Amino acid sequence: MEKKPEWLKVRYNQDAVNEVAELMRDLKLNTVCKEANCPNLGECYRKHTSTFLILGSICTRNCRFCNVTTGHPLPPDPEEPMNVAKAAKKLGLRHVVLTCSTRDDLPDGGAEQFAKCVRAIREVCPGTTVETLISDMKGNTDALDIVIAAHPEVLNHNVETVKELQSAVRPQARYQRSLDVLRYCKQKEPTLLTKTGFMVGLGETEDQISALMDDILETGCDILTIGQYLQPSPQHYPLARYATPEDFAHYKEMALQKGFRHVASAPLARSSYKAWEVLEDVHDLY
Amino acid sequence: MEKELTMPKLRPEMENGVLCAWLKEEGDTVTAGEPLFEIETDKVVNQIEATESGVLKKQLFEEGDTVNVETAVAILETK
Repeated sequence: MEKKPEWLKVRYNQDAVNEVAELMRDLKLNTVCKEANCPNLGECYRKHTSTFLILGSICTRNCRFCNVTTGHPLPPDPEEPMNVAKAAKKLGLRHVVLTCSTRDDLPDGGAEQFAKCVRAIREVCPGTTVETLISDMKGNTDALDIVIAAHPEVLNHNVETVKELQSAVRPQARYQRSLDVLRYCKQKEPTLLTKTGFMVGLGETEDQISALMDDILETGCDILTIGQYLQPSPQHYPLARYATPEDFAHYKEMALQKGFRHVASAPLARSSYKAWEVLEDVHDLY
Repeated sequence: MEKELTMPKLRPEMENGVLCAWLKEEGDTVTAGEPLFEIETDKVVNQIEATESGVLKKQLFEEGDTVNVETAVAILETK
């Protein structure tokens, strides 16, 4: 294992983690924080925030950067939407981020479960904003329409990496399809804030990053997140390099110069990390 | 009162962890929330915080040792 740089140190407090972990267990909920072995789990759980992983913890795809288990998922849990809302209320969340395992086995890709969760949160936690971090739903616009109609404040879909590395890193996804998802959602509902993110450290070049930013911006995307790829295990896609905090500052500057309204770029930035602060910043801009 | 601090299970499949650094020496006063030792995992270096205040009485492992999860790593003398 390559030695970790100083900026990849995180704090972990077992008591604080247990408190949120027990709440999730009691309500039969999953978090992407736990399933993806997120490095920010200790910090986020301590602050009583988490990102819900709806539609089960088993994914139908096997992206090579991701720690979520691949396999045959169970049918959606009808109690999940209300349990998510209850957990959000108990944690006192002002902004809820919902993400999912990719459900290529479901005709609507899980869109209806997203919509039910948004509606349950609206009912139980009035005033709370919601961000849906969706899969590409195979580019099915009927499915995307279901999510859009539920009116989340933010629709997030990650492109994950540059065009040239897509097939190696996320073999069942398509670069153009992900861009199309972002473009379609923005065009269908222009008041919806769209958001995407990508990782660096997979072997991409500066020119490829620049082209990726151009392609994302062209979809009308409002918010961009850029973070370090961290290899979940030796069996996952190999790490090419650790980008420095200065590199991330440079990428942020690049993106802002190109015209992005909001950019979060840091080694441990993740698409849902401090999502509330990002949304507040964006609202200040409009 | 003596209290054992154990190697946390940082992810479901974790069986052990490498204690890569001590951040406090034996005899040092420790406040709850202060980082006590570091464990390296595949993704990051985790600074494990003390969950109670007290004096670090005994380091039970040395830097570089692999420690099974839930095994006592340190003994803290609490009030």
